[in-house]
Amino acid sequence: MKKFFSTALARGLVWQLIGTLVGAGLVTGIRAMMGLSITDTFFFTEPAWVLGAFFGVLFFLAGNGSVSDWFKWSRGIDTPEHHEDHYTGWEKYLNVSLDHKVIGIQYTVTALLLISIGGLFALIFRTELAQSQLQFLTVDMKLFGQNGPQLYNTLMSLHGMIMIVSILLGIAGIINYVVPLLLGAQDMAFPRLNAFSFWIAVPAAVLLLMSLVLGGFDTGWTGYPPLSVRAPVGVQMFFLGVAAAGWSSILGALNVIATIIRMRSKGMTAMRMPIFVWAAVATSIIALTATQLIGLSFQLVMFQRLFGMGFFDPAKGGNPVLFQHLFWFYSHPAVYVFVLPGLGVISELLPVFARKPLFGYRWIAMSSMGIALVGFLVWAHHMFTSGMNEYLRVPFMYSTLLVAIPTGVKFFSWVATIWKGKLTYPTPMLFVLGAIVVFLLGGLTGPPNATVSVDLHLHDTYFIVGHFHDTIFGGFVFPFFAALYYWFPKATGRRMNETLGKIHFWLMTPSFFVLTFGMMQIGLLGMRRRIVDYDPALGFDSTHLVLTIAGYLIGLSVLIFIYNFFNSIKNGEKAEGNVWNSRSPEWQVPSPMPVHNYDQPFEVVGEPYDYGLPGSKYVEFSSPAKSKHK
Amino acid sequence: MSHTQDKSAALRQGVLIFIYLAALTALEYFIAITFKAVSILVIVAMIKAALVMYYYMHIYKLNAESEDDEHSYEYKTGTNRLGLWLFLLSDSFVFAGLMTTRINLLGLTRPHLDQLLGLVVTAILLLSSFFMNRGETAMSHGDKKSFMNNTLVTFVLGLGFLLGVVLVEWRLAAEGGLVASFGNPAAGPMGAVFYIMTGMHAFHVLTGLIFLGVVWNNARKNLYSARQHWGVEAAAVYWHFVDLVWIFYYPALYLIGRVV
Repeated sequence: MKKFFSTALARGLVWQLIGTLVGAGLVTGIRAMMGLSITDTFFFTEPAWVLGAFFGVLFFLAGNGSVSDWFKWSRGIDTPEHHEDHYTGWEKYLNVSLDHKVIGIQYTVTALLLISIGGLFALIFRTELAQSQLQFLTVDMKLFGQNGPQLYNTLMSLHGMIMIVSILLGIAGIINYVVPLLLGAQDMAFPRLNAFSFWIAVPAAVLLLMSLVLGGFDTGWTGYPPLSVRAPVGVQMFFLGVAAAGWSSILGALNVIATIIRMRSKGMTAMRMPIFVWAAVATSIIALTATQLIGLSFQLVMFQRLFGMGFFDPAKGGNPVLFQHLFWFYSHPAVYVFVLPGLGVISELLPVFARKPLFGYRWIAMSSMGIALVGFLVWAHHMFTSGMNEYLRVPFMYSTLLVAIPTGVKFFSWVATIWKGKLTYPTPMLFVLGAIVVFLLGGLTGPPNATVSVDLHLHDTYFIVGHFHDTIFGGFVFPFFAALYYWFPKATGRRMNETLGKIHFWLMTPSFFVLTFGMMQIGLLGMRRRIVDYDPALGFDSTHLVLTIAGYLIGLSVLIFIYNFFNSIKNGEKAEGNVWNSRSPEWQVPSPMPVHNYDQPFEVVGEPYDYGLPGSKYVEFSSPAKSKHK
Repeated sequence: MSHTQDKSAALRQGVLIFIYLAALTALEYFIAITFKAVSILVIVAMIKAALVMYYYMHIYKLNAESEDDEHSYEYKTGTNRLGLWLFLLSDSFVFAGLMTTRINLLGLTRPHLDQLLGLVVTAILLLSSFFMNRGETAMSHGDKKSFMNNTLVTFVLGLGFLLGVVLVEWRLAAEGGLVASFGNPAAGPMGAVFYIMTGMHAFHVLTGLIFLGVVWNNARKNLYSARQHWGVEAAAVYWHFVDLVWIFYYPALYLIGRVV
């Protein structure tokens, strides 16, 4: 326990608490001097909480040591390029490390933690929905200053945003761990920025959870004004948490792009990069630029609440639809941020388990870029019913339908890669195949929503919810699990248990189909999303009960995974060699990966996915003597 | 490309670009008070931006050849340069978002502001960019003393801009009735847009000033040389970026549309 309190994580959290009190105290003091009220429903006033939360993030980062090297540089003190890690075992992961592999694992475990929290929230409100009428989230109950339906709104909203943050951290985890290994680099281009990007996500998660106890918010994850202007102070914590998580994503993306452009090993031309690297580039381009717009849109609402600046207040000449434009300019491309790395994982793993070359490598690479670029032009398809200018609807409908083309290219390539392949079915492959099927369902249910005439009926129904979960499970959750099962031996030198892995898959997949098909079915019949209760006369009770049971089964399967994950670190079957018989460079050296990655640099001498072609070679490691000569 | 082979030639180029930029700013002002052509103002602003990005921010250096040795200072500087430009790209989306907000909420109207003051602060910021360029050119030829003097002038001018906007301009605007609607429910989005745009820009000026202070102090400690001065280059590029944003914000707030 004593060891825990001396870790960077614990220090950061203590400093965050101190920072929050300092910031809130500062505002309270100034207000006292100005003769304004100094307390409110949640002890401090809203401006005090906002500055407190902001200071909390800064204090966390200054206090846990993730920015200390930069402070040294600014005073002209040089620091060694790489710190040796002083810690071993679990302590290594709770302290600031500059090693991309450690940071990748930090990201991944944090993502799993947040997925569990977000999933727990979903199960709570799913339980309430199992039957019409209010059962336990009743009007009489009171928790954190909210009654039952208000708490439902908060949990529903937080489920969305916590899951989004966990996805951002999850893809950052996989990209961080894998991309430098695939490139043959020693580390990311900016190791300190990498550590910073991870550590700023921790206070961000704390802020998001703080919103739950500070009155919550009832806006959904979208935070539309005027609702978000009237919501309790919790919505400010939500805004600040998203802003901090956004910086994590922006700076992480910056690092990925710089690493890929500058740190590829010899011979790795653009068209010989592993396909996952292409996906990482595409996703990073969106995350780097568009993320600023969600931060900005929330910041403007924040200022409207704090200073009365009427950006989105029609009574003051503002325009609430402007918010939606700014917000969706990020938040639609964001779903491509979520799924592109997952689609990259599918393309990366499929040839390994089909023992065949990846069909149409160039087309896959370009389709990732195509999705990313078209993704910038489709945001207003979320706004067909918002009252925006009607002439904007049709162009946005067509640009959205255009996304189906590069996505279709990917499906074509996957099917062609599987065709006549010598398939084996270990757990990662099961999840890859599951991802393809689930993402296909997500893809097919997309165009109806993009079509204006149909969307006017479907908008804000459970059909949208079902479609969305299909895309995200197919594009992120399934590939994420595939990636974890696949690269787990690389990180630990042990395999995860196959039987438990298969139970995980065969429990999660059918439950998931039931869940989303059920959602889409009642959505078509008129079930509204985001509401705590529904009319029993609609006849949705039995379907909702089935959906809730399916939700619990998914939760159970993830628990099995988490047990398997942590248990296998110590007790898994040893796997130090090339367990999947892959051509990729990281599998040509023993597991777990040494601290500075490859002892000998490698040179790319062939195509990455020529499985089954005799004599073909992707990488060649230089012999020690040769590298000394260089 | 050899743009900075010779010190005096580089300095002369800096002066020339400054004259172009000053003339274009005067032209902007002239267009605004005479025939109010928004499209011409946009074109002039884009020409100014291109001049700053090429001759002051040296965007072409992104393409510079560097050695193969990944551990050399040159190679790392190339990576750092790419990182900085990616950051600026990301940051420009914030400013673009605010510009969109301005266009959406205000359209072809603008707040009532002191035109002379606007022109003066714009000139001050432009002048500071000129001295920043001189400072960086000096450092890349190993002239530490000239670098420090020029950076000091840049810093003073930058501080003058910051105080001119935040202390003088904001107060004058507020006295003239332009408020962010603190306790004034009748105030339209005009004040809100004006304060958020100038405020966000002023925040970047402030961070730029801190950056200048840091590199000035490190130069005092002899940490930079003609070959190794990435910190100086980064501070200069960032400072010019702040100027670049103002190239668009100045006409957007002071020149375009009719006064309300």
